[in-house]
Amino acid sequence: MSQLEKSFYSKASMYSFVVVTVLFFLMWVGTGQFSHMDWMLFGYMVSSFIFFIGITVRLTSWLMRPATNEVIKRSIRNMKTKKRQKRNWRAITKTLIDNIILQKFIFKRGLYRGVQHWLIAWGCIGSLAITFGLTFGWMHFKLIDATTYQMVVFGIPTLEMAPDGFLAQMFFEGLNITASMLLIGLAMAITRRIKNHDLQVTQRAEFDLFPLYILLAVTLTGLFLTVSYKLLGGWMHPQLALIHQITVVVFLIYFPFGKLFHLPIRPMAMSVPMNYQETPEVDTKTCLGCDELYSNDEQIADVKAMLGAQAFDLTNEDGDWLAEYCPACRRKLRVMSQLNLPKKTNSKPTPIETNNGIHMPGFGRKRSEEFYQSAEAKEEF
Amino acid sequence: MNKVMYLEFERCIGCRACQAACRECGGHDAKERNYVEYVNFFENRQTYPMMCMQCKDPACAKVCPANAIQITEEGVVLSAMEDKCIGCRNCTFGCPFGIPKFDFEENKMYKCDMCYDRTKHDISPMCASVCPSDAIRFIDHDEMMDLRRRRTQMNLIEGKKPSENDKWEYVPEFFGVYSD
Ligand code: SF4
Ligand code: SF4
Repeated sequence: MSQLEKSFYSKASMYSFVVVTVLFFLMWVGTGQFSHMDWMLFGYMVSSFIFFIGITVRLTSWLMRPATNEVIKRSIRNMKTKKRQKRNWRAITKTLIDNIILQKFIFKRGLYRGVQHWLIAWGCIGSLAITFGLTFGWMHFKLIDATTYQMVVFGIPTLEMAPDGFLAQMFFEGLNITASMLLIGLAMAITRRIKNHDLQVTQRAEFDLFPLYILLAVTLTGLFLTVSYKLLGGWMHPQLALIHQITVVVFLIYFPFGKLFHLPIRPMAMSVPMNYQETPEVDTKTCLGCDELYSNDEQIADVKAMLGAQAFDLTNEDGDWLAEYCPACRRKLRVMSQLNLPKKTNSKPTPIETNNGIHMPGFGRKRSEEFYQSAEAKEEF
Repeated sequence: MNKVMYLEFERCIGCRACQAACRECGGHDAKERNYVEYVNFFENRQTYPMMCMQCKDPACAKVCPANAIQITEEGVVLSAMEDKCIGCRNCTFGCPFGIPKFDFEENKMYKCDMCYDRTKHDISPMCASVCPSDAIRFIDHDEMMDLRRRRTQMNLIEGKKPSENDKWEYVPEFFGVYSD
């Protein structure tokens, strides 16, 4: 691998080259050696290539960050470990269902936000899938006889269906359905951004609002195309198609570089149950200071590796990493050193010893056994 | 931003007004992001306030695999971006001072961002604006230096006398960001 890498400027350029080659090859297969290219889709095609190159470059540089690298390395190691297979698959399925398909954690931030995000996310993913499928010629529909349509995927004939059947309707209306989802989600999101004063303080126009507006432009022009050929008899269709194409091109080129880039990195959430905390809120590692459970061994090892890789020397005089103390103990360490009252950090907090062994501690409590024994022993003399 | 945060831990009277103020902040979802804790509960009732140092080279951001912790141009270390945070809790373990908090319900980290929306306009953060005993202050850089100098003269730390060489170790910390 490293040998191959040297033939390129950088990792990013190497992976981009691979991605472009693969895409080109798939296109070649899908379009029957470029025999049925749809030149109407040329703009989409070029911007899709840019989209994939952008995503590749961004993902590569993201994976090269020491922290990300460490997490991915451990994930790969765990994936290869036989003993952990059960846990791995459980983690992947759980993350896929809870985090990605149902997006439960966003619903917990509010029902409104959940619905809004779910509609936008799945509207977006659905539209992207259909768009790429069509522009690269990965799938198209063929009329085999007067009553049967056939879906052709990568030049291989697959499903057959009646042109007015449910399945066919779902396929033909696919983009309209995803667009409608997007439209509702976007309307909700934009309303929230306008109405919610808390958000307005921190939102950035180019970061938080631009993606919403560009998505809205794509959705509206796309839906209007349908309206045009269904209801208006193709009124202004070529012009509308061009406007729609422009909005999609801007969207695709923007995608890898803005807020929407959180989509391809989200799947990394599965590394949390896989590598770190298997069940939420159940810890297995104890703090060096107070002996309370606060984390797990793998995670602390990773954090130390990440800090080490970036030349952070966060150890105390005893040579312990601060990461080995729970957050509460770390806060106390900071205060004590600030007040110049360094404390033996490795000892558990114990009550100040006020019992001098002579005075009874009150409320008729007994002294330690040994006290009476020695007294008796003395009497015998 | 021309002002700094200045903490004098031993001035804290444990009223927790700063935490209440933090909860009030818009977008905080009624959860405070700062701490008021006992120095040693078994010994006395002295408390101290604690908040993020806004490190120049923040460990929390450096251990975040999702790159969710952003640093503003002034140097304020922001709370995790909600869209990026994957909820791994690395930041809570990486931070040398135990500052970031984690919300298991919503699967995201949240931390003190020095009320960036206020401090970027030189308005005092919520906690400092309510602290009745001036344990947390948001003051000019010069004023802060004055206070520190006076403290070295007063030799407030019992039993230890700062010398010319190490007197700066005996004054409270200041933190935050300033451009002077
Ligand atoms: S919990 Fe979120 S902000 Fe903290 S390290 Fe993990 S991804 Fe980053
Ligand atoms: S959370 Fe911790 S590491 Fe991050 S800036 Fe604040 S004090 Fe520094």
